[in-house]
Amino acid sequence: MRLALYVTCLVDLMRPAIGFAALRLLEGAGSDVVVPPGQTCCGQPAWSAGNRPLAADLAKQAIAGLEGYDYVVIPSGSCADHVCNIYPQLLADDPAWAVRARELAARTYELSRFLNEVLALEQVPGEFAGSVTYHDSCKGLRGLGVKAQPRALLAKVRGLALRGMPECEECCGFGGAFALRFGEVSTAIVDRKCESIAAAGADAVVGGDLGCLLNIEGRLRRRGDTRTQVLHLAEVLAGPAPE
Amino acid sequence: MKAAVHSQAMHFQARAGVQVRNPGLQKTLQKARPLFVGKRAKGVAGLAADGLDFEELRSACAGIRQRVVDDLDVWLEIFEERARAAGADVLWARDGADVARLVVDIARRNGAGKVVKSKSMLSEEAQLNEALSAAGIQPVETDLGEYIVQLAGEAPSHIIAPAVHKTMAEVEALFAEHHGRPRQARTSADIPAMAREARQVLRQHFLSAEMGISGANFLIAESGSAALVTNEGNGRMVTTLPRVHVVITGIEKIIPTLDDFATLMRLLPRSATGQSISNYVSLLTGTRGPGETEGPEKTVFILVDNGRAALAGSDFSDMLRCIRCGACMNHCPVYFSLGGHAYGWVYPGPMGSVLTPLYTGIENALDLPHASTGCNQCGRVCPVNIPLPALMHRLREIQNERGLRPWRERFALRAWGWLAGHPAAYRWATRRAARYLHRLADASGRIHVLGIAPGWSDGRDLPAPPGQTFHELYAARKRA
Repeated sequence: MRLALYVTCLVDLMRPAIGFAALRLLEGAGSDVVVPPGQTCCGQPAWSAGNRPLAADLAKQAIAGLEGYDYVVIPSGSCADHVCNIYPQLLADDPAWAVRARELAARTYELSRFLNEVLALEQVPGEFAGSVTYHDSCKGLRGLGVKAQPRALLAKVRGLALRGMPECEECCGFGGAFALRFGEVSTAIVDRKCESIAAAGADAVVGGDLGCLLNIEGRLRRRGDTRTQVLHLAEVLAGPAPE
Repeated sequence: MKAAVHSQAMHFQARAGVQVRNPGLQKTLQKARPLFVGKRAKGVAGLAADGLDFEELRSACAGIRQRVVDDLDVWLEIFEERARAAGADVLWARDGADVARLVVDIARRNGAGKVVKSKSMLSEEAQLNEALSAAGIQPVETDLGEYIVQLAGEAPSHIIAPAVHKTMAEVEALFAEHHGRPRQARTSADIPAMAREARQVLRQHFLSAEMGISGANFLIAESGSAALVTNEGNGRMVTTLPRVHVVITGIEKIIPTLDDFATLMRLLPRSATGQSISNYVSLLTGTRGPGETEGPEKTVFILVDNGRAALAGSDFSDMLRCIRCGACMNHCPVYFSLGGHAYGWVYPGPMGSVLTPLYTGIENALDLPHASTGCNQCGRVCPVNIPLPALMHRLREIQNERGLRPWRERFALRAWGWLAGHPAAYRWATRRAARYLHRLADASGRIHVLGIAPGWSDGRDLPAPPGQTFHELYAARKRA
């Protein structure tokens, strides 16, 4: 089985460890994993801003780079939602590209869904001495049905105690450009998320989207919480990188 | 030329900032939010007890509404004919100014010096109270929330809970001032007494007004009736006590049959307040008949376009299915951080972020389609399946197509887009960005001030990157 790992632009720039953690998980499960060269961004920022031509160009670039693999795995619900749900409609009017977009969408998985549904992983290498609580990111949750899969995977991590979070399905207020355009409003929304995290009282909050995690971590720290760890699911499941 | 006269939607950014920093408002909103969400969740869960399924019901409801939207002219003709046959007059208004002119004219011809109103958001579109007052006719809002905002000289901040932004202390101060009594210390136990106090004042208005104005939740084509869904009973008073009853409603509010009304009523109250049915459901048909003792002598329907007809058959025709339940705003993280006034026109929340640009001009409400995190909570709860995030997104595209976005944003997107389209240049740029961001961090790995994105760093730190990109490290690993 030959997999393509699409690391996403945020992981590439802001936290490469998540990409390597995903790589370890997939390779550890016996897959032949390739990080196709030439990947930049799926184009969601252009699409969200309303620039359809640019979004379509970047979609075509990503599609061309990700063809020829059995599966494409993305450690982000948001980017996977964009590939699976937006690419086919974005390119619907261009018959040749529409077919290629639909084919890619059918082979593309958000990481936790892939580990759970395709690889049916029975054990994970990670260990975590403490409690974690899970934040459901909007696009993965409502666009791809990511809900039970990450929790099922976390339950396999040795030493980890999973705690419920009140309003875990509420938006964290990130929303891509929204957090920059309406910073104050975004901060008010993420404040409620910080309160939910505090109510859960776990050692770490875990999520599947780096955008949300940067937003949550940034606000927790600004509020003076230097204790609660903020981790991507892949980092917890894969455990620390070997030296 | 669209009537954008009273819209403040262009000032969303500034108004949002003010509301976010208003501690009283924030407290009120945070108290209200779980109530709205919890009640609706309970109401929808209750469908199972009646053997009903939310997803099936909402496709049925969406189907009923879409059927009308697809042939709006036909249904309007049927409604007009049946309503006239039942003894009502039917008038047509192109815009808000038309509505105001028609209503003032009806009031004058019937010698009305005072009109009582039950809730009508469309009368807000028409700025009807201002027009009536200017013509020397006293408008009295009789929905408790509307009464409160009228005393305060404000606009409603929510389509079904107009005074949700008001604290009890503010209401007490208003009542003391306008009811001519000393202020009292109040707790939540006093709310029923305060409601009684308003009722006593309003009763005198009901008995002395010559004309009543209401909206309609639906217009039923087969019977020519207006359906009114209320909880306080004021709607009954407004529509039956005065000699003249004027119904003001949008042309899209038609549904074909009474059966359809029954189907929609499965979801409307549940979506709005969680109730399986509202306290009052009125079907108002024609005028007081011979030998009848109740009802108006004259009933006039004013059917209003004000931008609606242009949506039929457009990219936005889904929006015409809206039944004004308020569920989208009740589940919106942005709405509940700001309240309704920040949105600047009649309709707040996700439905407002779509309707305001469409009804007042896309160029007059540039922020609203962007005032969403894209979380799609609204789309999930909408009882008529309106894809609100997709409609907001389409508005963003139109802003781009018309060159309405600010040049800085267009420039930044173009520069970023060029890089993203040229992987080698992109690698070079991201390597530099990773190092730059890494150098900005303090000892704990956090960036406190980010000059290029103050919107981010005013409210939060940025966890800094380690200084090398994934692709850089991956290439090194492969070489090793």
